[in-house]
Amino acid sequence: MAIQGTDVRKVVVACEAGMGSSVLLVTQLRDRLKGTDVVVQHSPVSQIPADADVIVCHRGLEATARGVAPGKVVVAFSMFLGDPAFDRVVEAIREGKALEG
Amino acid sequence: MAALLPREGIRLGLKAADRFDAVRQSGPVLVEIGAVEAPYVDAMLERERQISTSLGEGFAIPHGTDASRGWIRETMLSFLQFPEGVAWDDGEVIVCVGIAAVGDEHVGVLASLARILTVPEQAARLRAAERPEDVLSLLGSNEETKR
Repeated sequence: MAIQGTDVRKVVVACEAGMGSSVLLVTQLRDRLKGTDVVVQHSPVSQIPADADVIVCHRGLEATARGVAPGKVVVAFSMFLGDPAFDRVVEAIREGKALEG
Repeated sequence: MAALLPREGIRLGLKAADRFDAVRQSGPVLVEIGAVEAPYVDAMLERERQISTSLGEGFAIPHGTDASRGWIRETMLSFLQFPEGVAWDDGEVIVCVGIAAVGDEHVGVLASLARILTVPEQAARLRAAERPEDVLSLLGSNEETKR
C-alpha cells in the first residue's frame, strides 16, 4: 500500500489497549507535525477508525492492524524513541512524498 | 494532576529482581491508590509478555490489556523508581510508570513524559528524583507547556 503525503488527513497511532504507548507517541508525532492540518489520534488496535489514512503501530501489532484496517498504509516501528519509521511518516507528510507500508 | 498521580502512587528507591517483578510491584500500587481492582495486575503481566512496554531512556509504562479495562475504577498513574535498574528486553529500566486509563485524562501527563524523554538531561533528572515533589514538579512543569 502507498499514500501520498499530501493526501494524509489522519494518522492513527494504535496500541493493544490504546492507553499507554499510543498516547505517548501521539504527543511526539503531533509535535513533529505542528503546522500541518494532519490530525493525529490514538486508538486500541481493534478500534482503528475508518477514516484513518495512515496507521502507526508496534511491529508486534502490525498483522492485527492490517487485519482490522485492510487497504490502509500501516507503518510499523520497533523502538518508541527515535525509530526511523516516525521519520518516514513525518517526512512523507511534510514533503508530500509517497508513504509506503 | 495530583489526582491522576497521587503522592502515594510515587514510590522511590525500590528494588526488583526482573522485569516481571517490577510490573508485579507496579500493579498493587495502582490497587492501593484506588485506580484498579486486583485482577488488573495479571492483565499488566499479560500485556508485558505480549510486547514490552519499555520506552527507552530507562522508562517503561506497564499497563493492562484492552480486555482488562473493566477492572479500572479510575484513570490514574503510579511512578515506581528502581535506582539500581531492572534488566528489560531491550536495555535497563529505572522507572515504571504504571497506567490505568479508562478515558483520556492521563494524556497530559503522558504527553509531558513523552517530551521529557526527548530531552536526555530532563529524563536523567526524572530518573534520579529523590522526592515525590521532584517527580510531580518535573511532570507538571512539562504538562503546562502542552499544546
